[in-house]
Amino acid sequence: MTERESPRPPLVETSGLGKRYASITAVRDLNISVRRGEVYGFLGPNGAGKTTTLRMLLGLIKPSSGTAKVLGEEPGSPDGLQGVGALVESPAFYPYLSGRDNLRVMARYCGVSHQRVDEVLSQVELAGRARDKFKKYSLGMKQRLGVAAALLKDPELLILDEPTNGLDPKGMADMRALIRRVGHGERTVLLSSHLLGEVQQVCDRVGVIHKGELVTEGTVDELRGGGGILVKAEPLEEARKLAASLEWVEGAMIEDGMLVLDADPEKAPEINARLVSAGLRVSELRSVERSLEDAFLELTRGETI
Amino acid sequence: MLASLGAELLKLRKRPSTWVLGSIWLAVIILLSYTLVYVLVSNTPPPTVPEDTPKAQKEQLREQQQELREQQLEILFPENVVFNLTPGLPSLGAPIALILGALTVGSEYGWSTFKTVITQRPGRYAVFFGKLLALGIVLVLLVVLTFAAGAASGYVIAGLEGAPIGFPAAGELARATGAGGLILAVWAALGVLLAVLLRSTALSIGIGLVYSFALETIIFNLPIQSKAFRDAREFFPGQNSTFLAESFSGQPQGGFAEPPVDAPQAALVLLAYAAAFIVLAAFVFSRRDMD
Repeated sequence: MTERESPRPPLVETSGLGKRYASITAVRDLNISVRRGEVYGFLGPNGAGKTTTLRMLLGLIKPSSGTAKVLGEEPGSPDGLQGVGALVESPAFYPYLSGRDNLRVMARYCGVSHQRVDEVLSQVELAGRARDKFKKYSLGMKQRLGVAAALLKDPELLILDEPTNGLDPKGMADMRALIRRVGHGERTVLLSSHLLGEVQQVCDRVGVIHKGELVTEGTVDELRGGGGILVKAEPLEEARKLAASLEWVEGAMIEDGMLVLDADPEKAPEINARLVSAGLRVSELRSVERSLEDAFLELTRGETI
Repeated sequence: MLASLGAELLKLRKRPSTWVLGSIWLAVIILLSYTLVYVLVSNTPPPTVPEDTPKAQKEQLREQQQELREQQLEILFPENVVFNLTPGLPSLGAPIALILGALTVGSEYGWSTFKTVITQRPGRYAVFFGKLLALGIVLVLLVVLTFAAGAASGYVIAGLEGAPIGFPAAGELARATGAGGLILAVWAALGVLLAVLLRSTALSIGIGLVYSFALETIIFNLPIQSKAFRDAREFFPGQNSTFLAESFSGQPQGGFAEPPVDAPQAALVLLAYAAAFIVLAAFVFSRRDMD
């Protein structure tokens, strides 16, 4: 996915959105915005409130507090849902119907032609098994049928809730490729996942949710931060002082016999030149990039996904 | 709502349980109400009379038996299909309708398919009423097929007996179809309501059948002498189904020498039940979170 440059009007916007079940708060004061044309990753550990949020956005459950707008409409309103395709949790279809008949049923509900059924079956590469009963499908095929149903209306906004859940590695790779394919062009995708690699590979922007609250929202690069520079030099303390005096170095500290600089990794040649010209011996110098996983663990205080 | 109706009809048409229930129902009609009765009536042995019975009396007994046999056979002829089948609708058709109603809604909860359907756009009321409309069409078809199967069976029997073949008046058939459809609709609506409230198929069928087969009868027969209780019994759905169905038989209704409720009143009570069940189910369906 290429990162879109200019911010666009949000397709999904929530304001103080919350959901309580008796004494449990599933989602609290959530404010997210999904811009037109982007692939937005909704990232969080299991039980963080991702699915509850998506259900509220689709009108399947009612919020306890706050508001949400989807395509400028109330969540769940027929006008809003006209432009939304969704796969929430596991794909749910009629087991006694074939894949094609299941889509024919859904096509009738949303008022699209039966011709579109064959188009989306081809799009998710299920045309060859379209006559098989849904109950005979593998999990990967069921997920693909779920994506096909979500694509029936050729929606502006595609909401996919953990679409790779339960799939084997090949199935996951296929599903990611499918998401990339269907997310091209002007279509906006809101993808919930607890898989960091998936979000890093597929998404333009990410919202991180933890214990029902949005921890942060931004591009993948913003979340990962600017990275840094690792330096091994002698004498180390002198090198630290010199680096700290440079205005583009935001922090300099010694860890495990290495100088760790909070600075743009592209400045590595310049720091090398400064240290050498000051008579310091530089034996190692390399840029470091923080992974999304590091950022996530920091944001959620180390909770595993 | 027409889009939802189309989707529902496609699902019902392709669902094996629709055909299984319909087939069981028609098989029961043909076997119990026609084939078995015809075999029994045709093979009734002559009355055993003492040897010393006068010949004239023997002849009279034989004539009486022959007359009784002809009356019993006549009920099976096509012109009496309404008279023969309508009274049986509450006892045989109601459980089938209840199961169909519970299956139509409860299975969607079991398969979690409501979330897939609702996110396709139609709106909850359109989904719900499309479902009810499709169910109503199936129930009316079931009643029509019931009379058609009865008439066809009666046609064969009349042919075997060499009797003249006639058919019921169109008005009578239409009234019976309406009454039968209403009776089945009430029980199907109860199945739908239970399925919506319990979000389950098995439990709603279980509770519905316990009510229809046992609970109402037990409550009805409670030895309570108060006038309020006696009046309240006239508003039970099972009793009113029986009152309405048996109004087509010309026989005493619901075990009463004098029917406490006439057919129009029974129809009104059933309409009120159907409306109440549907409104309550629609309200809960539209408001509740869809997990």
